[in-house]
Amino acid sequence: MIKDMRPRIRGLFLVSLIVMSIFTARLVQVQGFQADAYAARAARELRSSATLPAVRGDITDVNGVVLARSVEAVNITVDQTLVGDPTAAAEAIAPLLGLTAPEVALKLTGIRRFAYVAKNVTPQIWDSVKSAILDLNKTRSIEKRVSGFYAEKTFHREYPAGPLAASVLGFVNASGHGGGGIEYALDRSLAGVDGSYIFDSGGGAAIPSANDVLVAAKPGRTIRLTINRDIQWVAQKEIDAQVKASGALSGTAIVMDPQTGAILALASAPGYDPNDVSKTPISLLGIPAVDEVYEPGSTGKVMTLSAALEEKVVTPTTIFNVPYKLKRGDRTFHDDEKHATWQLTTAGILAKSSNVGAIQVGEKMSHATLRNYLSRFGIGQLTGVGLPGETAGLFLPVDKWSQSSARTFAFGQGYSLTAMQATSVFAAVANDGVRVVPTLIAGMSDADGHYTSSAMRPGVRVISAETARTMRLMMEGVVSAGGTAPAAQIVGYRVAGKTGTANRVDNTCSCYRGYTASFIGFAPADKPALVMSVTIQDPKGIHFGGLLGAPIFKKVISFALKSLSIPPTGQAPTPIPLDAQQLAKVSAVTASGSAVKP
Amino acid sequence: MANSYQSPVGVTNRFNGALRRGGFIRGMDWVLVSAVLLLLVIGAILVSAGTRNWYAAAGLDPNYYLKRHLINIVVGLVLGIATMLFDYRLLRAYTPILWGIAFLGLVAVLIPGIGSTIHGAKAWITLPGGYSVEPGEFAKVAVIAGMAMLLAERREGEKDPKARDVAQSLIIAALPMILIMLQPDLGTVMILSASVLVVIAISGASWKWVAGLILLACIGSVGAVKLHVLHDYQIKRLQSFVDPKADPQQSGYQLRQARITIGSGGMLGKGLYKGPQTNGRFVPEQQTDFIFTVAGEELGFVGSASVIGLFGVILWRAGRIARRSTDLFGRLVAGGIMAWFAFQIFENVGMAMGLMPMTGVPLPLLSYGGTSLFAVLIGVGLLENVHIGRA
Repeated sequence: MIKDMRPRIRGLFLVSLIVMSIFTARLVQVQGFQADAYAARAARELRSSATLPAVRGDITDVNGVVLARSVEAVNITVDQTLVGDPTAAAEAIAPLLGLTAPEVALKLTGIRRFAYVAKNVTPQIWDSVKSAILDLNKTRSIEKRVSGFYAEKTFHREYPAGPLAASVLGFVNASGHGGGGIEYALDRSLAGVDGSYIFDSGGGAAIPSANDVLVAAKPGRTIRLTINRDIQWVAQKEIDAQVKASGALSGTAIVMDPQTGAILALASAPGYDPNDVSKTPISLLGIPAVDEVYEPGSTGKVMTLSAALEEKVVTPTTIFNVPYKLKRGDRTFHDDEKHATWQLTTAGILAKSSNVGAIQVGEKMSHATLRNYLSRFGIGQLTGVGLPGETAGLFLPVDKWSQSSARTFAFGQGYSLTAMQATSVFAAVANDGVRVVPTLIAGMSDADGHYTSSAMRPGVRVISAETARTMRLMMEGVVSAGGTAPAAQIVGYRVAGKTGTANRVDNTCSCYRGYTASFIGFAPADKPALVMSVTIQDPKGIHFGGLLGAPIFKKVISFALKSLSIPPTGQAPTPIPLDAQQLAKVSAVTASGSAVKP
Repeated sequence: MANSYQSPVGVTNRFNGALRRGGFIRGMDWVLVSAVLLLLVIGAILVSAGTRNWYAAAGLDPNYYLKRHLINIVVGLVLGIATMLFDYRLLRAYTPILWGIAFLGLVAVLIPGIGSTIHGAKAWITLPGGYSVEPGEFAKVAVIAGMAMLLAERREGEKDPKARDVAQSLIIAALPMILIMLQPDLGTVMILSASVLVVIAISGASWKWVAGLILLACIGSVGAVKLHVLHDYQIKRLQSFVDPKADPQQSGYQLRQARITIGSGGMLGKGLYKGPQTNGRFVPEQQTDFIFTVAGEELGFVGSASVIGLFGVILWRAGRIARRSTDLFGRLVAGGIMAWFAFQIFENVGMAMGLMPMTGVPLPLLSYGGTSLFAVLIGVGLLENVHIGRA
């Protein structure tokens, strides 16, 4: 007979019963008393939110031609724990992504629940990745099936015209925001407002529920620029070619409507392709037209002469004895080319671009008066064009001037400005003496297509309309056969302008080294519709504005006049005499005539 | 093991007069059978609930797990019935063979190229066709039967098992346990320890043996921690049990998620297939080790308490069979199986509710996983065999 072990078995069952009871009590605790707390924690845990990216607004030219647009793209993400067979998956999808299999395998291997496989791929590539995975799974056992790939909707910025107008447009950085140009300046308008989607999810998949909250994204606004793509294209092509041909450091061309300040073209060379700025040196990502300053040189004489005419201290035909050299204080100033003493009219000083002459004209005004005019022309102030990184240039107040300041200022050295400021000076003369704020923005339209034009900002009167007209006549002389820029002539049109060949400050040595060659002009001269500046920094070899800048002006403005259907204006007027000899001839003619003004 | 049910030897005599008074159909414990079948049905539903939406979302066959689980149930039931019908006397004779096969299986998993590692334990032998077996599960049956055989061999007139018998039976248990320790599968070792303790305890051996074994177990566990025998993840699991913040990324996270999932089920549950936590797969392995959380969330307190209740019925009937067995072998087998089931249930459910440290053991009759299900149903078959054999 064996020992009676039944009590021990009963005891064993009793212990089990006690454990069971403890479990049941625990269930009551967890699912009864604490159920609400756990349910709340569960709900919190399930809550996921996704950002619904707002589509960035387009940037178009003045005619609505798209210069920058956002296209739908996909970021492919992966839950590495669900991939199953990273090697096979990588081999299947790597060619579709333009990557190597080991590269992709690395991104698929691990325990991360969220990792990027590829960013900014087209929806078509995502579709092909999906079908490649489906194909892969067809031939696999269930354990080795590949899953865990997801698409994150995003937008990719495209610039259909490539480098065209890159410095105006700027670019979009990796975070989807503007990194330069208009993209940066108007980022808030362009970006729109991201929406959000709050939903329940788990295991990488959304769980449909009534608690979903969807806030739709608000698309960004479309910006219509004043840029005319065709004129921009010609300007870009010409400035690119000239910078290359002259071995220059850089070049800028600006075409502006002087009445509205609207910029029709703004081209910089060398440029870059905003579609991929990752390989562009950072020095190229700026906007030379507003962030690069230089001493204007002879183009600055336009301001000196405008001031003197407006102050009535000279007339266009006032005769000056202009020697080659002029000693003032401890410095001797001289003209570009050696010459015997000329007897030039005020107009002649401009046409011949005589530094000595300009000094003599400037000396007829007080320092304060000269500086005041320069200031009204916009020197030392931001133009307000609204591009990022704009600088006002160096423009010292009178009390900081040296003995020679007034003289150098008279012929455009000793202060600095940007190409945009220089263009604006000429636009003021072209616009009958009123300087308007240059602008790049024609208007904006919101997602519903409501278009709002930019309001024109009030201009500043710098000189009288009369003085402006006289200046334009004098500037036609510059483009004449006797002037410095006959290359700017356009057959059938009256053209006016001024060359500049300035000593350039080299920042590496803080000294003058090399030149800034420029030409700024407008057409038609008597009823200006277009102002254009061409600035070439540090050309090697030929460095005269009349030779480097004027031909570009001619090509671009000829095209612009035609494409904008601007008709030629009246006949060329009698030119203003440039020297004493011409003046004497004209006087003789008028003396013999009968109906002549006194 | 595989041989025993295929063999026709000894099966036939049970069918003779099966329905007669005293025949095996009348002699079966139908309460036990009902509880087992009910749990199998619940298990199939829970396996489906734990995997259907997950697989559907991945574009895979939503019923993949359910189909395989149902096949496992059918195979398991065949194995269980065959075990039940096996001649009781031959059962003892075949025990050494069973033990030998289980032992060889445990050796095999440790051989590189044969054994495969899942969740850090080298516990599996992969078979062609995507199947795999876990010899450790069969070792539970083999150890219990082997010990019972040795302890029940007693000369006439002897009341208690001699020290030599006890020692022999401990060796029978220790050898597979050492191999399982090497995998390492701590959960199975703990279950086997509980079974060994109970088999010794009800064999009539002196209480000193029982006390000694408990002491040994305590020293062994402290020693294992102190001597760094345990793997890092095992220590982390134990730490997480004491302090859930100790390993918040892995085991602490899983334990917290398990409790949140069960708790959010509330009284009546979210409804089958409708548990957001389950569908979101916040708890890992919810078709296997954490299947109780699916019951907790989708069936609520009512469902999960019923599951515990059904397990209670099984343990009650197992204990009853052990108590009523007139023969020592039967009693030890039934008692050992009861201890095995009980401890495995406690470990699994306790882990899901944060009452026991995390060890990867399946919940008997509910969890997905063929080998575990086969072993448990063979265990049930043995209980029935003992029950019928009593008459």
